[in-house]
Amino acid sequence: AAAFERRVLRRAAEHHYLRVRLELSDGGARPNAAQFKQLVVTALRELHGEVGAALPVDVLTYEEKTLSAILRVISSGLVKLWSALTLLGFYQNRRCAFRVLQTSPFLLALSGNSRELVL
Amino acid sequence: QNILTVCFSVGYSAVALNHVIDFKEKKQEIIKPVSPSELFPSLPIVQGTSKRIKVLTRLTLIVSDPSHCNLLRSTSANIRLYDIIAVFPKTEKLFHIACTTLDVDLVCINVTEKLPFYFRRPPVNMAIDRGIYFELLYTPAIKDSTMRRYTISNAISLMQICKGKNIVISSAAERPLELRGPYDVANLGLLFGLSEGEAKAAVSTNCRATMLHGETRKSACGVVYTVKKPRKVEEEETVPACKKAKTQA
Repeated sequence: AAAFERRVLRRAAEHHYLRVRLELSDGGARPNAAQFKQLVVTALRELHGEVGAALPVDVLTYEEKTLSAILRVISSGLVKLWSALTLLGFYQNRRCAFRVLQTSPFLLALSGNSRELVL
Repeated sequence: QNILTVCFSVGYSAVALNHVIDFKEKKQEIIKPVSPSELFPSLPIVQGTSKRIKVLTRLTLIVSDPSHCNLLRSTSANIRLYDIIAVFPKTEKLFHIACTTLDVDLVCINVTEKLPFYFRRPPVNMAIDRGIYFELLYTPAIKDSTMRRYTISNAISLMQICKGKNIVISSAAERPLELRGPYDVANLGLLFGLSEGEAKAAVSTNCRATMLHGETRKSACGVVYTVKKPRKVEEEETVPACKKAKTQA
């Protein structure tokens, strides 16, 4: 009989990755990468204050055409970041909405999206 | 109609359109709800299953006076056309009445201002037993920062009393950009103090239970069920007594 060992790692991943898309009402300037990061930090500050704004968030990729980005955040800060993005309402006095498309503790998992499969 | 299209694309499988009736204004009549088939000739299919998305109609009554509740008992035909009925009590007495005796599916909890009354455990427990759900809105939190504070504080005080059971989180979106996806809303539940399983249930299981509650309220007036009585093994002497009881009953 082969002996096997089972290891369960809880919370082994350090970072969580989020693929988000910003939806803006049409017309008006689109934010560039720096303004996007500023927007994320502003959202955190509005909801969670200075402590939230100090959360280490990185924008790994950003496409200005589709306004979609991949963010990286420490695993303990996922709930704060996600709730801050959900409750953000305005960007430069224009209505906006963040749509979180995928989230995963592994960056590779963000490459395939089963919701976009055409069956 | 735009809002509904966005709902479908974001991934909801059932949407309820809300009509609000405020009783402070005079001469309020309950209008017939807009039929969903007028808006969409054919509803798109839910991602991943083969069923169509459901669009339901919902009525919210803002009550600030006990006499307004008489409308629920009236035989107005239009009320029966709505799938889900919600009540928005403004005073503590009305909250008590809504939880204990009124025939509704949802009790809305005010998020836009400081609650004028504190929640007490007895009416909340009775509402949970009756199958009534408490509803929290999240769209005011997107618009204004003072509303955010009130939303979170009212939600936390509700959680302390009801321990996270029977909560439904819904949006009162008037524009497509005010809508958020289902997992985002479940994450908001974590902010309010729910556990992860409860937060997801607040968006999925509890909402479905509310829909079913509305359906049973519309259709059923009484339930008949049979119960198998356990047959007891009796001694010889007690048999005639037993037979006597049967003929009497």
